[in-house]
Amino acid sequence: MSKPVPLVKLDEKEHIASANQACQGCAGATVAHIIGKVLGDKMVRQEVACCGPAFGNLYQPSIYAEIFEGAGAMMTGLNRAFKKMGRDDAIVTGIIGDGGTFDIGFQGLSGAAERNENLLWICYDNEAYMNTGGQRSSATTKYAQTTTTPIGEFSRGKKEKRKNVTAMVALHNVPYVATASVAYPEDFIGKLEYAKNLKGFRFIIVSAPCPTGWRVEPQYAIRVAKDMVLSGMWPLYEVTDGEKFRLTFKPKELKPIKEVLKLQGRFRHMTDDETEELQDEVTSYWAKLIQKDGGSFQ
Amino acid sequence: MVEKFEVMVGNKAVAYAVKLARVKFISAFPITPQTTIVQYLSDMVANGEIDAEFVTVEGELTAQASALTATAAGVRSFTATAGPGLLYMHHPMHATSNARLPLVMAVMHRGVKGMQPDHSDMMSQRDTSWMMFECENSQEILDTGLMAYKIAEDSRVRLPAIFAGDGYILSYTDEPVEIPDQGKVDAFLPPYKSNFPLLPEQGLENQKIQMEQWAVGADEQTPWKNQQDAMDSAKNVIKEVSSEYERVFGRSYGNGLVEEYKTEGVDAVLVAMGTIASTTRTAIDRLQAEGKKIGLVKLKSFKPFPAEEFQRIAPTVKSMGIIDRNISCGSGGITFSEIRSAIYDVDEHPKTLSYIAGLNGKEVRVQDLMRIGEKTLKIANGLVVTPQVEWV
Repeated sequence: MSKPVPLVKLDEKEHIASANQACQGCAGATVAHIIGKVLGDKMVRQEVACCGPAFGNLYQPSIYAEIFEGAGAMMTGLNRAFKKMGRDDAIVTGIIGDGGTFDIGFQGLSGAAERNENLLWICYDNEAYMNTGGQRSSATTKYAQTTTTPIGEFSRGKKEKRKNVTAMVALHNVPYVATASVAYPEDFIGKLEYAKNLKGFRFIIVSAPCPTGWRVEPQYAIRVAKDMVLSGMWPLYEVTDGEKFRLTFKPKELKPIKEVLKLQGRFRHMTDDETEELQDEVTSYWAKLIQKDGGSFQ
Repeated sequence: MVEKFEVMVGNKAVAYAVKLARVKFISAFPITPQTTIVQYLSDMVANGEIDAEFVTVEGELTAQASALTATAAGVRSFTATAGPGLLYMHHPMHATSNARLPLVMAVMHRGVKGMQPDHSDMMSQRDTSWMMFECENSQEILDTGLMAYKIAEDSRVRLPAIFAGDGYILSYTDEPVEIPDQGKVDAFLPPYKSNFPLLPEQGLENQKIQMEQWAVGADEQTPWKNQQDAMDSAKNVIKEVSSEYERVFGRSYGNGLVEEYKTEGVDAVLVAMGTIASTTRTAIDRLQAEGKKIGLVKLKSFKPFPAEEFQRIAPTVKSMGIIDRNISCGSGGITFSEIRSAIYDVDEHPKTLSYIAGLNGKEVRVQDLMRIGEKTLKIANGLVVTPQVEWV
């Protein structure tokens, strides 16, 4: 079970270069900054095609290969090689986007999870293919406007619901699965600290709003992430030992999602009915999670 | 010293090569006719004969990409595939060569438009900057596997390599194979070291190669140029390794690039790869017994393509009959195009004929090869022969 870690306890040593190719307000850059500090000198990183290599210019050793779908495969190779070399102390880490996790990388994710490879897969979830200009992914929220789900006479944005990859990974019975948010760094750091000392397959998915793609003013990116948690749109939880489910943060009262959606240009076209449909889903999923809290995930 | 012999199928010869090379990482995924390679390997790992990480991956793409990073991190790695499995590896194969990683892979040929063997699977990968070595029997498979690691890991090369055999035909045929002594193999093939290790304390050291390619002001064509240069240097390295192998183990396959069979004083040669080369030997024996002056050039290294070898042979014969177990539709037989292009600038170059044979596993018989041998001789004797391209 993870415990929140206060920001002041973070290592002062910086692992990220001050120069950065991120867009203004990029939450991903903050995520990478935190990961670099928590995992420190033992981290060896796999990179694939995504914004990660642009915003996350960390000093820890890394290997990049032009294999978008290859995160699970390539981290497997690193992990097994280190094992053979007697270097299990290396923390094989991926900072992988939602496309490389939910879509094109999903087979490799499932394969690596099923084999319980000793690695830490961190998905920074900005809900679309932001590196290529904001095309929808299966992580995109329903009704969101993206560059491949435009608003038009015959289109109301994304037609499909978001894929629940976190639950799917948890069903692989891996040692650790957690959600986190860039707006709750103490919770995120606590989960990273807990995960880094475990062996086996560990998966943390971090909500990382993309101001460019979500059409949010850069200064509101963290606020949007925070409101997503407060509204129940992004529940913070963890599943330990392949089964034990625990909400790590429970807002006393859920904020209406309308408040969260209105900050984001990608949802501005939504009607009241459409908002209500999303609200009902969030409310009912939250109720399910509350029921499971402290018990079994499955 | 008496070496150990065992009667084994080609797929087992692959497994022995992997064992003797002391491979530390094996990614395994089944596909006919390669499957039993990874089965033999799983047995060898299970009974302690091989000390390797044996990873049963969920597909060939993962087999390739995981072996890529394992090689980068610092362990000698292996994977095997065939046919569509090789196609599924296509784009990570480019990544492996682009990172200059000496990964070695066995391919037991399976066509890509049918299940039976032809070379269309490997030919589909011909521009991936992988070296490609073709074998005609189980002994050659074992020997070539060991040589492939030595060539790939040479500092003048550092490119990945395929060693290949015709699937089914070699995969499942028992032949006596001499198993080299482990001590001699260890001396021949020293432990592998990564040029770009990735250990935590090594910081960004490994990214130098990436930076070399991405740096502002760098020539954008650098990676391709470096890989072409490495292929060029590989030709000499292959010859060196082939001679050393002969010295240590007493066996060689020509000079490692091409192998000439009964070519002394001939007017014409047939050129073939893989098991068809074996059948061609018999055809050549019979034709020469009839007094016909025709020999065989076995093409062993498809990549790097030994253009200089064909330029050397070109002035010595009047015609070449080139057998392709592959075709690039819209052009023709691939080795035919390569060879004809290689000898074009040789003043005294022979006439060339193209034979498309053995696609989708179509049987190529001794009498077929005798007939095309005779046809090739006719053009050497100044007769007009049509068509230039024949489907055998």
